Amino acid sequence: MRYFLSIIFLLNLLPTFAGEIKVCSSCEVKTVKEAIELAESGDTILIEKGVYKEFDLNIINKSLHLKGVNYPVIDAGMNGTAFGIKADGVTIEGLKIINVGRSYTKDFAAILLHGSKNFVLKNNILENVFFGFLIEKSHKGIITGNRIKSEGGEESNSGNGIHLWSSTEVIVKNNQVEGMRDGIYIEFGKKCEILNNVCEKNIRYGLHFMFSDGNSYIGNTFEENGAGVAVMFSKFIEMKKNIFRKSWGSASYGLLLKEISDATLENNIFEDNTIAVNADGTTRVKFIENDFKNNGYAIKVHGGAYTTSFSRNNFLYNSFDVAYSGRLNDNSFNGNYWSDYTGYDLNNDKVGDVPFRPVKLFSYLVNKTPEAIVLLRSIFIDLVDFSEKVSPIFTPAGLIDHEPQMNRIKW
Amino acid sequence: MKNYLYLFITLFLISCSNEPEPIVYGSDSCSYCKMTIVSKAHSAQLVTKKGKQIKYDAIECLVKDNIQNYDEKEVALILVANYKEPGTMLPAKEAAYVIDEQITSPMGANLAAVKKGNEIEGISASYTWNELKNHFLKEDSQRQR
Repeated sequence: MRYFLSIIFLLNLLPTFAGEIKVCSSCEVKTVKEAIELAESGDTILIEKGVYKEFDLNIINKSLHLKGVNYPVIDAGMNGTAFGIKADGVTIEGLKIINVGRSYTKDFAAILLHGSKNFVLKNNILENVFFGFLIEKSHKGIITGNRIKSEGGEESNSGNGIHLWSSTEVIVKNNQVEGMRDGIYIEFGKKCEILNNVCEKNIRYGLHFMFSDGNSYIGNTFEENGAGVAVMFSKFIEMKKNIFRKSWGSASYGLLLKEISDATLENNIFEDNTIAVNADGTTRVKFIENDFKNNGYAIKVHGGAYTTSFSRNNFLYNSFDVAYSGRLNDNSFNGNYWSDYTGYDLNNDKVGDVPFRPVKLFSYLVNKTPEAIVLLRSIFIDLVDFSEKVSPIFTPAGLIDHEPQMNRIKW
Repeated sequence: MKNYLYLFITLFLISCSNEPEPIVYGSDSCSYCKMTIVSKAHSAQLVTKKGKQIKYDAIECLVKDNIQNYDEKEVALILVANYKEPGTMLPAKEAAYVIDEQITSPMGANLAAVKKGNEIEGISASYTWNELKNHFLKEDSQRQR
């Protein structure tokens, strides 16, 4: 019985082992910096509503849980980084961090993590920041439910919203990133998952992979970015259920693929982009069940594309479905739906009886002389394209869909 | 007649200008790697003798493009961004190049250019333009092996 009592006694003590420090203007502890200094590993710091003009808040080798109550404001006053963290198991939740300093040569961030494991960055609001979250050499973290917004404008001196560098197994989920250089940037990252984020109006890319293998992005929306997504020098990238919209401009793409291999694109929607997919140096890339709708170009291939396959995609009302500027490589187009298809289906098997050639002769002319685009809707060009369709001479022989579908593919 | 000749000569000279066009950050794209050029501290550009303007988002792109695709005889001008004064350009041959982990250049080479004799604190290793080209040539041939 006595043992039992003492166990209960001990259990009652437990919550106080993980201490709690309150920060507010009328509390004993008035600044976040003081609280971090006082706290021991495992403690929770509750930051009450208010404005805290602090920066360079460093958490080193302490597993702390920082929690904002009703979004307290941490104002870094354009002085530099707000939080610098070098510790495992840190959680930062419910803070509003504003006014992070800008620099060309130093990467200031709202939250800078270096060499940390098992971190959680949750439901924070970042406004007017240079870099939002800068995660370096860190592993197994979750970044979720944050809103990052900056007014980089046309100026190029803005950083990335969520920047992962040399990090593995990080989950980036349900975040909203607007007006940064790149919304989410992954450099030398592995096994990261980018899920259900919204990246809008970023200057360069909504999402950017560089030298990063084995990552996936699923269910994200990219709208009105300089370019939606750029996947560069990376292998084994899974791209599913994303929406790429409104990347307009002469250097804009929905998706830029540069030197990548073994990737799968499935169930994505590309809508209203100047170029939906711009591919340069791709190997073993599969496009399955994607919608390409109202784009200038649906697929534009520069240089080489090897063993790239397109099946069961919908090509709907694009000015050009497929354009090549280099020589043709071994790609296959089979069983897609083309809104431009004018063939017939006599045996009623839902597959067109005449093969479809997705490359228009005019696209070659435009590639050579971009100004020729003014002729796009002219009858003369229709005539040129039609005669090429009847007796193909210039367009590559191998570029054919032998099984064009009569009906839009439902996926 | 002579006047016309002068006129033609001046017109000819004007039309073949090798002046560098300024880079429009956030809008121009790199002709080597296709990325939008945003970093004033790492951009570079090349003008050919025929006046063709080629822009890069990183010095490593310039060097690789230069090694692979351009003969020195065709090139009129090569400029690289001054890392210490972002937004200003230096002639490529008059710059010193530094490679160090603390520099994060857009294409992952950790490379930047500074004025000779104005190197960045804590970085001792620096390259001249020719040494830099050789450095990348060596890297290229190693990869092909």
